Parts: sequence; structure tokens; C-alpha cells
Amino acid sequence: MSSGHDDGIHAAGVSKRFGSVEALSPLDLSIAPGEIVTLLGPSGCGKTTLLRIVAGLEPLTSGTISVDGLTPVSARELKRFGLVPQSPALLPWRTVEANARLLQDINVDANPSPLPDVVELLDKVGLSEFRSSYPHELSGGMQQRVGLVRAFALGAPYLLMDEPFAALDEITRADMRHLLASLCEPINTGVLFVTHSLAEAVFLSDRVAVLSSRPGRIVGTVDVDLPRPRVPELEDDPAFFAIETELRRLLHSGAGR
Amino acid sequence: MIGRLRNSAAFWAAIGTVALLGFWEAFVRVRDVRKFVLLPPSEIGSTFLDNPGFYVDNIWVTARHLVVGLSIALVVSLAFGALLAAVRPLEHASQPLLVLILVTPWVAYISSIVLWLGRGTPSIVFLVAFVTVPAFVYATVGGMRSADPAARELFASIHASRWEVLWRLRLPSALPSLFTAARFNVGLGLAAAYFAEGAALSTDGLGEAGRRAVAFNEGSILWTTILCTAVLGILSQVAVLLLERSLLHWHASQRRTAR
Repeated sequence: MSSGHDDGIHAAGVSKRFGSVEALSPLDLSIAPGEIVTLLGPSGCGKTTLLRIVAGLEPLTSGTISVDGLTPVSARELKRFGLVPQSPALLPWRTVEANARLLQDINVDANPSPLPDVVELLDKVGLSEFRSSYPHELSGGMQQRVGLVRAFALGAPYLLMDEPFAALDEITRADMRHLLASLCEPINTGVLFVTHSLAEAVFLSDRVAVLSSRPGRIVGTVDVDLPRPRVPELEDDPAFFAIETELRRLLHSGAGR
Repeated sequence: MIGRLRNSAAFWAAIGTVALLGFWEAFVRVRDVRKFVLLPPSEIGSTFLDNPGFYVDNIWVTARHLVVGLSIALVVSLAFGALLAAVRPLEHASQPLLVLILVTPWVAYISSIVLWLGRGTPSIVFLVAFVTVPAFVYATVGGMRSADPAARELFASIHASRWEVLWRLRLPSALPSLFTAARFNVGLGLAAAYFAEGAALSTDGLGEAGRRAVAFNEGSILWTTILCTAVLGILSQVAVLLLERSLLHWHASQRRTAR
């Protein structure tokens, strides 16, 4: 394994321009191994762009990023990222189980060993009865659960989640963040979670970085010192509200220009 | 029982077939149409039964020409289409060729093909493949481009090879449009096979049987050949449909319910 100070994701002075549009002004961000960090910001603030840059899917304009001492592109080639896109992006011709295995089936040379057990993961998210169903037979929430399993099944050291619950209704969203916390907590996986939901940010994260509207820059970082495992009852706790309030205040300060 | 029949598609198709045959038979007999212009279905039946082996053999020959030609076209189109889907300038550059193939009447240049490839099967199969390539290429390019962008990003996030993207994402995405093209191409390819058989100085096939019937003024043989060709066309369409149902069971077009 790599040496101590290389561990984790370190972004330094990262910025991004699309032509004449400045999407991200230079920012620094670190994610320690096993740490869950949320990027919280209004839509269009560049948080998805930052996630894509970390994933090695988008070149950066300036700055450096290291992922356990590797460049994002090398890390991507070594399957170090489990991506959960905003739409579940399930392949309609594959069954639920085959979809959950998709990332294991591609670029197999870079698979870690042993690979997580897909059947066990599907069981954990309550989809064991639907293993041989097709995506069109599932509800939106169930489809996104397959999307989560697909990413976890990679056994990657980092998960990159791009507003995975944005298209779901409020009740399903709450279930999904509780489920995600229960999946993340027992394993030592670093998570970069992008959202515009305060509740998701507080419930899931160890740390929340708040982005301003475009060009995106980090207006503040909040440590979430709530006990783990996170349980749904926590969302009624005054400490939970206090952090939500702090984040909301930061969001408003970033929105003004 | 009656109620169930009333809702059955097959029942109404059978009623329609009987009505069509009855009208056809009555029309020819009442108007006393000449054999060469149109033959009543009863006489087509008896002509067929006079020498069923002759017609069945020729159906087989034409079916082989059709299947071999379409298969070659499909393989060529998939390779060519995948290339065009990946390289946009090449797609633009290939438009003149594809459009030219589509609009040029093959009736006009078949004798040049025969002169080039020789008589019989090679020329026939070439024509079938040649005229069906454009629709297959368009279907391949359009279908491969339609692959879900989020899924493409997902493939990229784990460094999928070009081959993996093609095989596991782009090709399955192209299947629905390929089947639409296949239904169209079965009709086009059959027409091309029939015509080429008559023009390529081949010794068998429905097209050659039809050509000889015309040459010898055999109206009943001509019309029996025509109906045999139509039956082959229907069977081919059914085959494509069944294949589509089994391969595209996951696609919205194959589902009965809204979801």
C-alpha cells in the first residue's frame, strides 16, 4: 500500500474554466481514507464538475489532485472510484443482479480481490427478491438502490456520488440516506457526496464543504460531530438542527454576491 | 367463448384473410379477368399442388439468397456503423455513398453487377447485401449514439475499453433501431433477390421461375410464384418479429403495460 502522507484525496488550488465561463475558482479539499465528505451547494455551482474532475473524467484548468498518490486518471484506470450518477443509469437489458455486477464485469484486470458479494449487498438493500427482475419493473427508489449496490460491489476505496437521490420523492429520499449510512459505516470507504439537501449533508457526512454559486468556491467547512452509527432518530435531535442551521447560513452567505 | 374470440387479434386476422380471398376469387370470376393479369386463389392453389416440389425448392433457393445477403449486410453495417458512430467526420464523409446506394434504382445497374461478378448466386447475394446496407448503417449509427450518456460516464469512470463500451453498451442500445431496419430490409432484400434471380441468368429461385413463366406466357405459374414470394416475405417478417420479441423483451416497444 502507499505511504502514509499520500493517503486520501487531496485537491489543491483546483479551478476550472469552460471557455470564458469560470466554473470553479481555485479551491482546496481533502478527503481522508474512510472519511465521508459532502459538497453542498446550489445547482449550477460546479459541485458536479468538481466531482467529475476528481473522478478523472474532466481535465482541470489549474491546480493538482492526488488520489492515494495517483493522478485522477491513473486512479480511474485502477478502478479506485465507485461512481453513483444522478440517474440510476441501469442497463435495461440486464437483470437487477447483472446490473449490480456491471462495474465488476468491466475492466476486470483492475478488480480488487476479493470482490464484495453482490448477492449479499442486494439482500442488504432489500432487493433479494428482485435479483432476476428487469429495471423497468422497479420503482425509482429501488432502481437507485441497485445503483448504490453497483458502486459498492466494486470494493473501491472511494465512492463518488452525484446527487444520487435528487430525482426521488421526500419520503424515499429519507429512506435512502438512512440506507446509505448503514452501507458506508461498516466499511472503510472514503465518500465524496454531492447534494443540495441539508438533511442528506448532515446525516451522512463527517464533514461538509459549502460551495458558493458560480463560480464555485468553498465558503466554509463544517465538521459534523454526531455519533455513529447514524440512526434515523438523530434527525429529531437539536444538535442535528443546529448543524443544518449553520449550513443554511453558509449557503446564504455564498449566494449573495 | 364468443367474447374471447371477439378480442383475439388472430381471429380477426383470419376473418380478414378469408374475406380477402373470397373477394379476390369472386372478382376474378365475375369480371372474367385473364389468367396473366390476375389468377384466382383457387387456381393458384391447384397450380401449386400440381408441382409442389418445384415451388418449395425455389422458395428455399430465394430464402437462402435473402438470408445470406442480409447477414452479410448486417455484419458489414455493424462494423462500418460502429466506426462511423465513433468518428463523426467519417460519418459525414460517408453520407454521399449511403444516399447514392439508397436512391439509385438497382433495377438499372443489375446487368453491370452480373457482368462484374458473373451469373448466379454471387451477383444475387451482392445485390441483396448492397441495397440493405444503408438502412442497417443508419440504424447502427443512430442506435449506438442513443446510448444513455449517464451509462457512458459510468463506463468511463472505471476505464472501460472501447471494445467493452461497444459490446456491452452501444450494441445493445442499437438493437431496437436495428430491428426496425431489419423489418424494412426484409421486404427490400426480398424484392432485390427476386429481381436479381430473374436478371442474373441463374437457374433457380422464385425470380427465375417468374421470369421463365413470363417468357413462356404461363400466367398461372407466374401468379403462383408471386404468391410463393409473398408467403416467403410474410414468413421472414414473422421470423424477425419473433426474434425481436425474444431479444428485446426488456424494451418499451415489447411491453403491454405502461411501465
